[in-house]
Amino acid sequence: MAGDVGSIPELDQKKYDSDEQVKIICLGDSAVGKSKLMERFLMDEYRPQQLSTYALTLYKHTATVGNKTVAIDFWDTAGQERFQSMHPSYYHKAHACIMVFDVQRKVTYKNLASWYKELREYRPEIPCCVVANKIDADLKVTQRSFNFGKKQGLPFYFVSAADGTNVVKMFREMIKRAVDYKQNPSDFMDEVLQELENFDLEKKEDNSEADEVGLKAESPESV
Amino acid sequence: MSFEAKRCGVQFSPPAIVLIYEHKETKHVRKRIIPVRNFSKYSDYSMAAERLKNHTRHRDYLEGVSQSQLEKLHIILRDHMQGLSLEHSLASFRLDPDEDLNKLDDKELARKKGQMDELFEKNRRQKDDPDFVYDLEKDFTKPTQEKCSWDDVSDDGF
Ligand SMILES: Nc1nc2c(ncn2[C@@H]2O[C@H](COP(=O)(O)OP(=O)(O)O)[C@@H](O)[C@H]2O)c(=O)[nH]1
Ligand SMILES: [Mg+2]
Repeated sequence: MAGDVGSIPELDQKKYDSDEQVKIICLGDSAVGKSKLMERFLMDEYRPQQLSTYALTLYKHTATVGNKTVAIDFWDTAGQERFQSMHPSYYHKAHACIMVFDVQRKVTYKNLASWYKELREYRPEIPCCVVANKIDADLKVTQRSFNFGKKQGLPFYFVSAADGTNVVKMFREMIKRAVDYKQNPSDFMDEVLQELENFDLEKKEDNSEADEVGLKAESPESV
Repeated sequence: MSFEAKRCGVQFSPPAIVLIYEHKETKHVRKRIIPVRNFSKYSDYSMAAERLKNHTRHRDYLEGVSQSQLEKLHIILRDHMQGLSLEHSLASFRLDPDEDLNKLDDKELARKKGQMDELFEKNRRQKDDPDFVYDLEKDFTKPTQEKCSWDDVSDDGF
């Protein structure tokens, strides 16, 4: 059962349990600029690893946070947006989430609500931010306020993958928050999954015991 | 060698890219018809566009024409070879801000992205640009918060 959730044969997600391995996911509609943002942040380091069977692209990055070197895997979708929903393995063990919309397309802003809802079903507590991309197209949008995520206290960034505005700042802050979260997780989802796994096994044993107990319990009465 | 591209388009038969350009020194406006050879309805438009852009005889004229623009012209040619109408081709590029692009298949989405690329390339700052700053930061926090027209009253922060 937990195998189902985490399993991508080419990818052992167990590694994300180790201290130096961080997983950050990107969410948002098709064509909001998720991949371009990755490309802008990583520049020469940009070497996407396509897992087309899973409609998934991975980017590897190494960062220094405090005095520690961490290996970060950025997970980006390669067409899974089409289903307006991601496979559970996408969320599994993620330490932070970058949610992107396109300031030129209102529908992508409106859809944040359903992306966020799905995220919280799997990862109730991980750090998350809202990113308004393509501000180069119309700088006036930066005078508006976008209230989605305010209530939940999600940081908000105006960025442009084209001219680079605030892209590096946003990624660095999210990496930092992912690492902080890792050191101090308040998310019990993974633990719960493991518990459930054990629970399933115990329950089977319990059942058989219970039956016996039941029989024994009955027998005194029948005496 | 300075030519300023003014407009470009396609000619269906024989297949060609048509370029109207101005010769910067003489100020003469000329038309150049660039034949598109070895291109069929099965060809890769992106490769064909790149080939043309780097073509020794044409590249000076095409300097001001973006790769995505050339790709688009090749797509129109290919659509025509596949029997699709010009109207169909043009509609497939059109960006409708209210259209949900999640619903498109890969090919349809690629066309919309190709269209978006024009502005993207125009506004793009790259590493070799003299004014390039890797970690460019701008502060947009505003003293007074305006209400966003995209947040309906009923949404209430979703
Ligand atoms: N003007 C502008 N266009 C952008 C920006 N970021 C992305 N784009 C355009 O949006 C298209 C889709 O971006 P992409 O990264 O493929 O979106 P994804 O589907 O979310 O990964 C690109 O082809 C670009 O043309 C930006 O910051 N400014
Ligand atoms: Mg993408």
